Amino acid sequence: MKLRILCSLLSLCTVASAWTDYFSFDTIPNPAGIDPQVGAMDTMPDGRIAVAFHRGEVMFYNPTNQSWSLFASGLQEPLGMLIEKDGSILVMQRAELTRLKDTDGDGSADEYETVFDDFGMSGNYHEFAYGPAKDAEGNLYIVLGIASNGASMAGEIRGEFSEVGEVDREGMSDKKLWGKNKGKAGRMYARVKWRGWVLKLSPDGKKMEPYADGLRSPNGIGFDAKGRLLITDNQGDWRPTSPLYDIKKDGFYGHPASLVWRKDWDGRIPLKIPVPELNKMQQPAAGYFPQGELANSPTWPVILPEGAVPKGIAGQTLIGEMNQPTMIRVLDDEVDGVFQTGLVTMFDKSPLGIGSNRTAFGKDGSIYVGKTQLSWAGGKGITRIKWNGKPYAELEKIKALPKGFELIFSQAIDPASLKKLTVKSHTYEYHQAYGAPKADEQELVLNSSVLSPDGLKLTLDIGPLKENYLHLIDMSALLTKDGSKIYGDKVWYQVVKAPK
Amino acid sequence: MKFFLAFLSLTTLGFAEKPDGAQLFTTNCSACHMLDEMIVGPSLAEIRSIYNGKPDDFLKWCVKPSKKRPNVIEMPSMVHVGDEGLREIYAHVMKVADGVKVKEAKKGDPYVSSPVQTKRPQIQRIFMPNAGPAAVAVALDSTMSLCWDAGECRLRYSWNGGFIDGYPYWQGNGSSLAKVLGSIRYVEARSPFENAVEPKFAGYRIEKGLPVFKYQLGDRLITESFSAIANGGGFNRSFTLTPTPSAPVVLNFPEDQKVAYTSDKGKWTGSTLTLKGADTAAFTINVTFK
Repeated sequence: MKLRILCSLLSLCTVASAWTDYFSFDTIPNPAGIDPQVGAMDTMPDGRIAVAFHRGEVMFYNPTNQSWSLFASGLQEPLGMLIEKDGSILVMQRAELTRLKDTDGDGSADEYETVFDDFGMSGNYHEFAYGPAKDAEGNLYIVLGIASNGASMAGEIRGEFSEVGEVDREGMSDKKLWGKNKGKAGRMYARVKWRGWVLKLSPDGKKMEPYADGLRSPNGIGFDAKGRLLITDNQGDWRPTSPLYDIKKDGFYGHPASLVWRKDWDGRIPLKIPVPELNKMQQPAAGYFPQGELANSPTWPVILPEGAVPKGIAGQTLIGEMNQPTMIRVLDDEVDGVFQTGLVTMFDKSPLGIGSNRTAFGKDGSIYVGKTQLSWAGGKGITRIKWNGKPYAELEKIKALPKGFELIFSQAIDPASLKKLTVKSHTYEYHQAYGAPKADEQELVLNSSVLSPDGLKLTLDIGPLKENYLHLIDMSALLTKDGSKIYGDKVWYQVVKAPK
Repeated sequence: MKFFLAFLSLTTLGFAEKPDGAQLFTTNCSACHMLDEMIVGPSLAEIRSIYNGKPDDFLKWCVKPSKKRPNVIEMPSMVHVGDEGLREIYAHVMKVADGVKVKEAKKGDPYVSSPVQTKRPQIQRIFMPNAGPAAVAVALDSTMSLCWDAGECRLRYSWNGGFIDGYPYWQGNGSSLAKVLGSIRYVEARSPFENAVEPKFAGYRIEKGLPVFKYQLGDRLITESFSAIANGGGFNRSFTLTPTPSAPVVLNFPEDQKVAYTSDKGKWTGSTLTLKGADTAAFTINVTFK
């Protein structure tokens, strides 16, 4: 206690491994002979964890005896999975959405049924495919990544080619001329169908509705507890930093490459559209992960179940991250019906480390986090995180107010520690270039910080909120009345709409 | 007022704390750069050997990196760190990498002899040479393999020898094709059905480890499956058509002097097979390498 106060006074208090006071972090043994890069995960009705690996194996991990068994193999880069009621497994792989079925009951899949493959493939490595997410009516949503000019298209493609672009078909697939053509192709391109789109499929996969466009490298799709379709995307061209989107039908989400596949597209080359026009068209992000600080490549959203975490945060969304040693918890807020979020670190500086790509939950409340890297920054294998049931201090809610924020904590805050709380804000410029630095970063003057009598509710007055600004509330110097730090001590709140 | 605010923000953000090189390195660089080993990007030891004494070049690279090495991804710009921060990172890297030797990178597929990779038969979807992007590689047994295209719903080619080396694809993010191990012995330029309509891939069923491909050609469901002729001598190819057509079916195969065709049904004229409609319910063709 004394030490904590002392180190907080000296602001040396990083408490590097303190998450381990409340959660255990164990690496589960990898299956033999398998490249343990995890592309997809879900939980079977009987509690086994289904895991799809980089080379296309789908395996079950049985937590009761820590054993692995092989269910299917030979898929190409599975990056999403959904277990159905009858135990069959929907897997999104590069070329299609596939249903794996064990019809003879021998424990391994014998039917690899194509559910949906009516989308284009240019053969470019960056055309990853993600999903499915299922809505309350059983409709499935998939989302298709676009190609990178790190490589050309292949000579043979699947589906239609869009002529809309500066470089023609031959130029797009000529490896020798690519050095010359790549600059004109767009940093990322979508010359085959439905790349950069969210597609809505009927429950049987037979009917498809183009649902939303403007996505880039959306390595995360899922519904939150309130039925919002969330998608994470990666910093890059047209992405100042990685965004979190709440996907609406017919919404455009900022990356123009996919526009060529709009039904009534006017034929303009996406890169020639004036930026202000695109900016006006695009839907705002509901949250931003600042590059290099919170996340560089956020991943899959999952809903935290009760039992895995304290009650106050159960039902919230948890998102993985490839590059930074943290996961991200989503604190949702709504202003006049507009969804916006505060993103808070979770398991930062814990033994979890980097590379968190997919998450599934065991029946005992274990959180299984699968990692990958695919030559980028990341990791391998699976970490099992288990809460020990002890309460700890964390931010449970954040709410935008006309003149600041209201924060709800799980434990009473020591008013003496409020002095060192800081609030900064910055915004981003929307542009074609790869990423964007913070713009107009300012430390905001904290007019007042008022704690409720029980110490759980903190009201910060920073004056009227600025729309389209990301606000960082740094709580790293806050202490509870018991002298504990706050677990997840930074929150980034994107003000889409400021309350009046 | 604006000037005052800008000054205030510089004061609080810029000068109050000097950026710490080690901490900036952890936040911005450590995910891709290790001390003595190439992972995503080069090791600090290697970076030191390139930039020691050249902080300005280091800064230039960090702000505007480009693609320098094949099979290595391009570094994103670190412009957001700022010049002062990048100089601190530079100092940190030069310090910690001083006297450190680069570890040799391990070469080759670490899973090449794993039972998962060596089991036969085997089915693997992967980017293949001379095929569409929705390709499937199939090892029929330890010597006979083929490439089937799930986009065009047809056999592309067959080879004997080994299976595939998928490591060029698997070692990274899929930016390279798998390699065929062995000699290509048979190639088809088009489907023997010479489709008038676009085929629709329906998936495959696994029987004795081998795929039974299914695809829809108009109103007709076709299944196509394969088995090896011993010792890499060729392959058997079985089809079923449902419903069977009432008219005879003519299938054209390549005029290839290096293979011989036989079948359990129908009549051959050169490399053309004519089947009675009813016979298409189930028939098998044998392709023997000469």
